[in-house]
Amino acid sequence: MSFLEVRDLCLDVGGFELSRIELKAEKGDYLTLIGPTGSGKSLFLETIIGFYRPEKGRIILEEKDITDLPPDKRQISIVYQDHMLFPHMDVFENIAYALRKKLRDKKQIEAEVKQIAGVLGIDELLHRKPATLSGGEKQRVALARSLIVRPKLLLLDEPFSALDARTREKLRDTLKKAISEYSTTVLHVTHDFEDVWALANRVVVIRKGEVMQAGDPESVFKRPSPDFVAEFLGTNVLKGKVKAFEGKLTVIEAEGLKIYSSDPAKPGEEVVVSIRPEEIILSRGTVESSARNTVKGKVLGIFKKEHLVVVEVKMGNAEIKAVITPTSCEMLGLEPGRETYAVFKASNARIIR
Amino acid sequence: MRFLKTPGILKSQSFKHSWFRNLTIGIAFIFTFLLFSSIGILLFVLKPSEILSALFSEEMLYSMKLSMLTSSASTLSVICCSIPTAYALSRYSFPGKSLIKSILGLPMAFPELVMGLALLLLFGHGFLGPYLEALGIKVTFTKLGIVVAQFFVAFPYAVRVIYSTFEDINPRYEQVSRSFGYGEFETFRYVTLPMARSGLFASSVITFARCIGAFGAVLILAGGSYMHTEVLPVTLYLNISYGNLEMAITSGILLMGIAFLAIFSFERFEGGRL
Repeated sequence: MSFLEVRDLCLDVGGFELSRIELKAEKGDYLTLIGPTGSGKSLFLETIIGFYRPEKGRIILEEKDITDLPPDKRQISIVYQDHMLFPHMDVFENIAYALRKKLRDKKQIEAEVKQIAGVLGIDELLHRKPATLSGGEKQRVALARSLIVRPKLLLLDEPFSALDARTREKLRDTLKKAISEYSTTVLHVTHDFEDVWALANRVVVIRKGEVMQAGDPESVFKRPSPDFVAEFLGTNVLKGKVKAFEGKLTVIEAEGLKIYSSDPAKPGEEVVVSIRPEEIILSRGTVESSARNTVKGKVLGIFKKEHLVVVEVKMGNAEIKAVITPTSCEMLGLEPGRETYAVFKASNARIIR
Repeated sequence: MRFLKTPGILKSQSFKHSWFRNLTIGIAFIFTFLLFSSIGILLFVLKPSEILSALFSEEMLYSMKLSMLTSSASTLSVICCSIPTAYALSRYSFPGKSLIKSILGLPMAFPELVMGLALLLLFGHGFLGPYLEALGIKVTFTKLGIVVAQFFVAFPYAVRVIYSTFEDINPRYEQVSRSFGYGEFETFRYVTLPMARSGLFASSVITFARCIGAFGAVLILAGGSYMHTEVLPVTLYLNISYGNLEMAITSGILLMGIAFLAIFSFERFEGGRL
């Protein structure tokens, strides 16, 4: 039997719906649930932790049926996008609050808080009120508060979506470190593909309250189900090797392309690079610009996504997606088989793993 | 496209003021001024010496003391009862919830006098009166009646203010606390109540002001008898009917003063919230 098993979970709370969700996770798994907004991901987490009671189905954690247990008896922690730090307590109090039900001894509590503050790099903040912290700092504190109790299961509900790209990246690293230190199983809800690549060993795709696909990230993204791609456009992920370090830029050879990235990496390292489709500019010819990457390719296909157009371009051995407006698509005269150039900044080619 | 729109908006703002704008602002000024001057007149009709002598008369001291005592007692009980009521309405769904909500909304619309009459009937000889009397409790025409009347006048307001305070607190805070092993009551005690602090203070102030100003229901349930169930509004009323203007105006000034203090601290605390 798996560490966590969700069987045939059904719930409808007006607007959001879960229908027959099946899910398994092993101890130590980092599982991401990915899907567009409104797909019932948060509802799913809140059902696992016990804030909602499912209409049907069972939740089994460590061979114990916890479906009918109140949330305070489940030993599951949650971190929300908007952190939910108690505003009337300072950072220390917030973290210690979580521990007070487990430990009585004040000295011990203090030692534990100091330790986790060290791991998450928030030692300096312990006596500040949450309102005075930056978004990234708040999220570190929220993580500390959830991890300090060493939960059986840690639920993350889009913990990074309110942060800027740099902070997000840094926090991912910290999270990785903290999780290995406090060894816990994680369910992470996100709509960001980079989270999946950087953190997860398993991914579950949810749409409209249903599991569409599950597996390890590689197989899910290499062979996505057609519905899923149409609904939900992710990021371009390229695997490659660091060739050199030129000036302040890392040069990566990935799938037959030479890509400049402003993220640091050691030569020889195997990396995964992410380029968001909306950060790619398509042009007819080469253009002189501040963007360091200009790559030639051939248009494979064009399809509409709401009011935008997604252009698939074959470059080297990779298929890269770019998002442009219908007007630019017309002006460039793009159609399958035509040559085009993709231009993007080195800072937008992010090394995510 | 977006850039083109903004200058248009800016232009219309610096445009000549419309007659409609001037009309609304004018009305706002005129009637606020009238209200303010009517309050001001209260202060200038009497000589300071007259106010002082009325203030320290035996009747006024009695009525002030009684007002303070009864209002404090009723405020305390209103807050104690409306916190659980408001919490239940805000957090749980249960049969009869919408009924409770609409009943609590009623007293805000219907006159206090009617409320007093209804209470008089409830606590009088017909219904609850005999049973309570058997326990040695007499509500009608007593000081306890004042508290009861004030309670029912202020209760719906307090529930409403506290309800919106609880509604402003994201239930996820409570859920997070639950996930750390705290029970429902512990969570309420350590998370919800402290977070509702300023709202609770504001509603206590408003409740106190409502209680001390309650008149119709108090008059009917407790009877406005001289130096017995005489609170400040009753003093005003009794002395107007005797033609004793100094006493009436002085109790009016006192009531105004308390109301001003209440509104002032209410604004400060509500405004100072996160």
